[in-house]
Parts: sequence; structure tokens; C-alpha cells
Amino acid sequence: MARINREEVERVAALARLRLSDREADQMAAELDAVLGFAESLQELDTSGIEPTSHPIPLSTPRRDDTPAAVLDTELIAANAPQFSDSAFLVPKVIDSETEG
Amino acid sequence: MSEGVPTLRDLRAALAASEVTSVELVDACLARAEASQATLHAFVGLRPEAALASARESDARRERGELRSGIDGIPIAIKDNIVQAGEPAACASRILEGFVSPYSATAIEKLERSGAIVVGRTNMDEFAMGSSTEHSVAGPTRNPWNLERTPGGSSGGSAVAVAAGIVPAALGSDTGGSIRQPASLCGVVGLKPTYGRVSRWGLVAFASSLDQIGVFTRTAADCASLLEVVAGHDPRDSTSIPESVPSYADALNGDLEGLRLGLPREYFAEEGADPRVLEVVGAAVAELERAGAKIVEVDLPHTRYATATYYLIANAEASSNLARFDGVRYGHRARGAEGLTDMYCLSRSEGFGAEVKRRIILGTYVLSAGYYDAYYRKAQQVRTLLRRDFERAFEVCDALVTPTSPEVAFPLGQKIGDPLAMYLSDVYTVSANLAGIPGMSIPCGQVDELPVGLQLLGPALGELTLLRIADGFQRLTQHHQQSPGASA
Amino acid sequence: MNDRGGAEFEVVIGLEVHAHLQTRSKLFGPAPVSYGERPNHSVDPICLALPGVLPVLNARALELAVRASLAMHCEVHHRSIFARKSYFYPDLPKGYQISQYEEPLATGGWVDIPVEGGGDTSTKRVRLTRIHMEEDAGKSIHDDAVAGAGATSVDLNRSGVPLIEIVSEPDLRSAEEATAYLRTIRALLRYTEVSNADMEKGHLRCDVNVSLRPRGSEEYGTRTELKNLNSFRFIEEAVDAEVARQTEILERGECVRQCTLGYDPQTHLTHVLRLKEDADDYRYFPDPDLVPLVLSETEIERVRKQIPELAEQKCERFRTEYGLSEYDALQLTVTRSLADFFETAARAHGQPKPVANWILRDVLQALKERDLEIDDSPLEAESLARLIRLVDEGKTTAKSARGLVPELVERGGDPVALVDERGLGAVSDAGLIEKSVVEVLEENPDNVELYRSGEEKVVNFLIGQVMQKTQGKASPAIVREILERELRK
Repeated sequence: MARINREEVERVAALARLRLSDREADQMAAELDAVLGFAESLQELDTSGIEPTSHPIPLSTPRRDDTPAAVLDTELIAANAPQFSDSAFLVPKVIDSETEG
Repeated sequence: MSEGVPTLRDLRAALAASEVTSVELVDACLARAEASQATLHAFVGLRPEAALASARESDARRERGELRSGIDGIPIAIKDNIVQAGEPAACASRILEGFVSPYSATAIEKLERSGAIVVGRTNMDEFAMGSSTEHSVAGPTRNPWNLERTPGGSSGGSAVAVAAGIVPAALGSDTGGSIRQPASLCGVVGLKPTYGRVSRWGLVAFASSLDQIGVFTRTAADCASLLEVVAGHDPRDSTSIPESVPSYADALNGDLEGLRLGLPREYFAEEGADPRVLEVVGAAVAELERAGAKIVEVDLPHTRYATATYYLIANAEASSNLARFDGVRYGHRARGAEGLTDMYCLSRSEGFGAEVKRRIILGTYVLSAGYYDAYYRKAQQVRTLLRRDFERAFEVCDALVTPTSPEVAFPLGQKIGDPLAMYLSDVYTVSANLAGIPGMSIPCGQVDELPVGLQLLGPALGELTLLRIADGFQRLTQHHQQSPGASA
Repeated sequence: MNDRGGAEFEVVIGLEVHAHLQTRSKLFGPAPVSYGERPNHSVDPICLALPGVLPVLNARALELAVRASLAMHCEVHHRSIFARKSYFYPDLPKGYQISQYEEPLATGGWVDIPVEGGGDTSTKRVRLTRIHMEEDAGKSIHDDAVAGAGATSVDLNRSGVPLIEIVSEPDLRSAEEATAYLRTIRALLRYTEVSNADMEKGHLRCDVNVSLRPRGSEEYGTRTELKNLNSFRFIEEAVDAEVARQTEILERGECVRQCTLGYDPQTHLTHVLRLKEDADDYRYFPDPDLVPLVLSETEIERVRKQIPELAEQKCERFRTEYGLSEYDALQLTVTRSLADFFETAARAHGQPKPVANWILRDVLQALKERDLEIDDSPLEAESLARLIRLVDEGKTTAKSARGLVPELVERGGDPVALVDERGLGAVSDAGLIEKSVVEVLEENPDNVELYRSGEEKVVNFLIGQVMQKTQGKASPAIVREILERELRK
């Protein structure tokens, strides 16, 4: 049985805000299924009681002084922004049929 | 100058002897880069005016006797995922089209402070996701040893820029082998430092717990000189190691006597490896042994799980790191979207290439509700086992010696339709990123007139050991002096 | 309206309170924290999530979060983890919020809140689940006038401002308890100088989880979450409206659906913003850009020592040390500055009880009428003490002095000079008073007789008569002295 099917790919793509054509979704389901099948091998290992590694080098989080530094020039912000007006970014409104969050 | 393509050290000597100026070096470098674009396509952008202006300043400093460092005036190329103020940084992706960084990476600031001159940005797999430099919005980079072959990736452009003699040194990034594998396939030296040794501030993140900026050069000695400049603690990177940087270059003496080199059994028993590559690597090991190194066999029993572990962790982190590319504040925004969600989906779907989308979806999947424990957490636990393998190995040896890649440069297009096959070309390199340890690839011979790389792995902060072995090997051999026919 | 849930159902409420920490720069970067700045004028590459930026923790924010946790009796953990919470929204630049999930900064803890019952004020202990640190998002403004039709404008000034989230157990049973809890949290945050905790400015925000269950049931019902309630009044109204809505659903025999709700103060109704069925998949995982946050015991103890005396301790001390009633002590310790004001005035004057009376009766009234807090008023504690002493010494009358309080609250100034200026000095001219006394005695022979026959109480009536003659300006002490002397003649 497939580990991941097309519906699952589409659900995840929506979470990641990606839109796939039917062909892409089918192809991706096949490819991801192969990759996940390969990842199945990890299940052979007994990892009970093994601490997960999030960082390879053990460090504790450094802290900086609460000293404010310079802000970014608005012109530089505007230069990169697709749509910018009155020093604010503009985006299309959420329309009712769309789900968010 | 020595024969063949000049090294960083050669250029430094030539500058010191006033045989050449920095302006001349940079000019020649830009000319070679331009000339080679049609065949090699190593660069995605050059900065002639800015580079020449910096070169003039460097020459003026030299005149006044105010050199900033040993690499003052030396041209260097950087990968397209390291930001420089006032320059684009597109990570070879459409999603970052038009973006100009208002700030510089710490590594770039350090280069600038040392007087080195950034001449241009090199091609890469989009967001460093790939092993062939074919996944680039700008099109593929070609291997100078054989134009029908890939240079490896993802830092293929930087590897080629050095291999083809366009620049003496380049910066790249290595998340699972993206410096070492192209270094191996292009016949140059590539070093991925210990995780946290070089600041990630200004390196566009692929997988934050694996990414490291590193260097490409022709020799170990050059590699040491450049690493000294870019390494060091950075308070802007919470994962930066608060340790001072030793003087790498000064410590290279060619002495290999008594060094214990470990051969991981699993790496030489790899089914998919080209036996001719293993043979060339075996010969290099014999050479090191003759020079006084002691060879010991070691076990890294979890090696066969490394690639799967790597792809789960790297893609999970990537799916999150790439969420910021949403068409709101910078980069590509799709036209004609109806509503916010539509704008997100269209912009991201148009902006990212197929491989990036595949990885975002895989990474999102393994982090999503119900799968986290089975995939992501499991992979993090196996990561612990892989780390322990290395810790045990380094109790009995000073460094490990392995092939860098299971094969020589493969033909363009060969693996692009088969993601899993592409992922397996990183089989020897991903473990070092998972364990955070330094790794280096140096040329050690050829198969079918294509370079073979020898990988050296050391314990955390063991860069000096790797550089000494590499330097010792290069004093005894000429592999690093071989130049490809298609050099510029 | 107090009979929420009717007889059948019990109301169960838990609060998630977000409080801005009082820092100068943001949680993970050095951009300044500013309120009221033009949009996107308080941002740097980190707030904008430009490619390649990295977070570094603000030491001050951590200290304040630890302080708040300790003040609320939580266990602060030696190791905690920052995690990424992923969702797409234009005011969330990274596409994830750095928060804490599996291993938060602090867990457990409690606060005592005042509750009314049977006319008495008693306290109720509300348990806390956890306190964790996180960064705030920016602001999306869906206003056609600002962004143009069909567009939303995004301001990232608030993006990255440090927050703590305080999550309570579902221990609250009414809207009044919910607001009493929030007031207590606010007072604690202000006492400890962790946060300005100003709801109007968005320093303090609150999500309320509401569910109903049959009375006597141990299990919790399905809860709904009321979002973005930005005043105490709205919280009470929204909870009442939601309880009514849920009661109606349950009484119809239907099930409450899990959802997020908004409250419309115009219609006094709650409305569904989002159903939770499409299970929020936030894909939490440890932030690989931030390594574990490690706090040593020494460090935690150092922060513990910074915690000032808190309201409940002060209240207790005011009762024992100054002999105040519980009610008076509670009132005086509502804010740290009022308590400090009282103590300074009491020390300057020497007698805490009358000082407490003056503050509770006159000063608070004057403040309230002007919608001021004691901090906003130029009235100094020493001036109040001087004013009271003028009365004690007979240099002015209580009536005149009370008349000056509003002015002092509003404009400050020296009470001695004011009394002089306004001619409010008490009449202490013995000759003038004697004249009035003689007149009063002549006009009231019956009372004089009564006094002399032993009914000494009538002296108070006679004093009143003299005060009337002097239009209240005579010092009552001197009047009494002269009267008694004359009567004994």
C-alpha cells in the first residue's frame, strides 16, 4: 500500500501553500512514496530511550543585551517589496472562501 | 608562479613581488569568468565595477603598506546563497527574483575586512537542494573536466570557478555534502568546517542544524588561509561556537608521522560505489600510510541509516525555513491572484522549482500532525546514534579517511528524474553534517579522466588535523595540480 | 445576568493571557520596541525575516519572563526549548512564530484572586498551567481607507516584540472571576515591572476558553475560544454572551462545536471566526536556529531576589504594621504606586490610619473623577501629610482641607501656601472666638444649665453653635477650650 497518496500530497501542499497540477500531484505522490519507503528503514532501529539530537554541537542559548540598534531604512524595505504604500506592505485581502491559519 | 593554474598563495606572492596588481588580477578574473560563461556557466552574476573599485583600494593600501591581511587584493567568488549588501542573492531561485540584500553575511564582512575582493556570485542548485547544480533557475553549470557531466552540487558554481582557474578560492555552503561532493567531482579542495565554526548569519537557510559555510581552493594551504579569515565566533548566530580560531596556515608542516587514520568499514563496503573509485581512494590511503600515518579499521554501524535520517531532518527544517518566501515583503509575487491564499499559493508555486517543492512537501509531511514521531523524532534519535558512532571512532583515530562520492562526475540529466538516486550520491557526506563534524575533500586521482576525491573527517573543531593531513598528502602527490581541459 | 448557565450547567473558564515584556529591543533581534511609530519604521532585517537572518535571545526579556513566573509561583525550568509554530499570515514574516511548546520556561504556579461571596471578600486560588515566552506578530490592517479596496496593509513594527503567555487551568467559574483573575495578573505584572500591561495599548491581550458542563459533572464540556478581547468590560460581556449561546445549544439537546469566536460589542453577540475541525496543524518542532535555553539555579535565585513585595504580602503587612482593616489594606495595595504613596505619606505624617482615611476617601475620589492614577497626579505624598498636619494642628479645618484635595491632585502645590492664599486658615484669634462663645452662652441659657448640672455632652452642641457663628473657620480645639473655661466659671 502506498504510504502517501495524491490526496495526502494535496493536503500537505495546501498546508505549505503550494498548488500542484494533477500531473504534478500524481508524480509527487509516487516520488515521495519512494523516499518515504526508503525512510522506513529507520523503523528497524530500536531508539527507545535515545535522546533526539536537535543540534550536533551541545551549546546553551546565548543572550544579547537589551540594547536597541538601528532600524532598516524604509527606502531599502520599499525597494524589495512587491507592493508598498504609505510605508506599509500591501497584500490581497483574505476572501471568505479561503481558509486560513 | 608554479606550473598550471595559480593558487591563492601564488597570487599572493605575485602581488607581494609587485609582479601584478589586484586590479589586474580582478580584471583577468572577470575576463575568464565572462569567457567561460557560455561553456561552464559557473556564475549567476558578476560585479565588475564594485570588484574593480575594491581592487583599486587594495592596491592603494599595498602602496601605503597598510595591507589588511594575507588575502588582501585576492579575488574570490561566493555562492548565490550568501548575502552581500547591495547585491542580489537569489539562491538560484525565481522566488527571490529582484531581491537585493540590504545587509551582508558575517563571512562576507570578514572577507571585506581582510581586503579580499568578491568578484561574483556562483551558480547552485536552487536553495542548495541538489547534488548536480542542475536545479537552478539560471540553468545548469557544467563540469570543466567533461562538459557533458555535472560538477556535482549544490555548490557546483563555486567548485567550477576554482577548478577552471577562474578564481583561486570561493565560498560555498554544505548541508549534506554540497561543498565536498562538487569539490570531489571537480578535482579541487573543499572544506566543510565544524557546525558553528563559521557564522551562518547571512547564509540563506536550507536546513539550519546542518548548514555550514565553507571554502573551495586548489590546495590545503590556501584552504587554511581562507578558513582563518571566515571562521570565528559570531554573537549574531546562536549556534556559533565561542572558541577562538587557531592559526591554521602556520601549523601546516607536512608531518604525518604517527597520525592515526580510521577507515570506516561500512564506507568501503558500499554497494552502490564504483569499485574503481574505491581503488583510487585505497591507493591514496596507502600513500598516507607510507608517509607515516597509522591506518586502523573502524566501524560506523549506523551509516546505512544516514541518508534517510538526513533527508527527513533536512527537509523538515527546509519546509519551515522556506515559509518566509511568501511574496509579501520581497521576491516574486504572482500576478492576478484572487485573495491572499491564492497569492501565496501562486507565488510559491511559480517561484519554487520542482525539487524545492518536493522537499517542502516531504518536510511539511514529516512535521505534520500524526507523522512527527514516526519520522521527525525518529530521525532525530537516529541522529544521536550516528553522532555516537563518530565519538567512538575518534577514540581510536585522529581522523577518518573515506571516498567523498561513490562515483565520479555523472552525466547531466542522468539523475534529475530520479530523486532517490540523486539523494544517494550524498551517501558518504551527509553523516558529517548530522554529527556536526568537519569534513574535507581533496583530489586523489582519476577514473575515466575524471577526478576522484578523498574525504577526510575529523572530530568537532578538528579542522587543523584535516588540513595537516591534506597538506601532507599534497606535498607528496600532484593530483591537485591537474587541470581540466576546459579551463578558462 | 449572574445566573450563568442556569441551574443545570456550570460555567468553566480558562484564560490565555499574553503580556508584552517591558524591553527596549525585540525578543530575538535588536530592533527597538516602539509604540505609535509610523508603520515599518521600527524594523530591521530580523523583523522582516529577510533571507539569512538569525535569532538571538534578549537577556532582559528572559529575566522579566523568569521574574513573572516566579512571582506567580511557577517552577522555572533549568532547560527549556524554543519551538517554531508554523502558519501563513502576512503579519507573520517568517511563516512561523518562535514560541515554546513541549518544554516551556515555567509550569505550575498559581495566583489568588479576590472573589465576592455572601457580602464578604475572600480569595480563590487559580492554578496556572504554564508560562512561556514567544514573539508577537505584526499587524494586518483590513481597512479599505488605509490599504485601498481589496487590500490589507501590513505593519511589522510589533513583529518580534517579546511576550509571555500565561495559561491558566480551567479554574474560573464566572465572567467576574475571569476579570478578577485578569486584574490580579495585571497588578502582578505591574508590581514586578514586567509589563505595562495596558490593555488599550495591546500590552495585555486575552483569549478566553469557555465551556459548560452539567452541575456536579467531573468532565469538561467542549470549549470554545473567545479571541482578541481588549477590555475588561468586553470580556465580561463576551463570556456572558457565549455562556448564553452554549446554554441554548445544550438545552436544545445539541452539541457545542469547538471553534474560535469573536465578540461584537455592538450586538452583544459572539460569532464563529473559525471552526477547529480542520485541525490546526502548526507543525511545532524545536527551532534549529536556537539551542536549548539553560538557566542555572543561581541565576533563577538572583531573579527571585529582584521580586518586590507583592500585593498580597503588602496587604498583610499593612494590616499588621499599620493596623488597617483588610478592606482598607486591599484598596491601598491595588497598585504598587498607590501603596508606596500611602507609605511615604504615613511616614511623613506619623499616623498611618488617618492618612489611609484621607487617601481612601478624598484622594481616590479626586483621582477617579479625573480618570487618573496616582502616578499621573502631581500630588506628592509629603504634601498630603502636610495638609493633614495643618488640620491636626488646628491651622485649618478638615472641611477646608478636603476642599483643597481635588486641586492638589490636579495641579499639585504646597498646601501651606494654598491655605494661606485662600484665606482658609482657621480662626485662632482667641478674642474673636471668646466673643462668639459669650454670645452663644447668652443665647442658650438652658444648655448652660444642663452642662452645669452634669450633662457635659451638651458642650458639643455649643461648639457647633460657635462654629456656625465663625462660619466654620474657628479651630474646634480652641473653641472647646474656651467654651469649657467659660462654662466652669
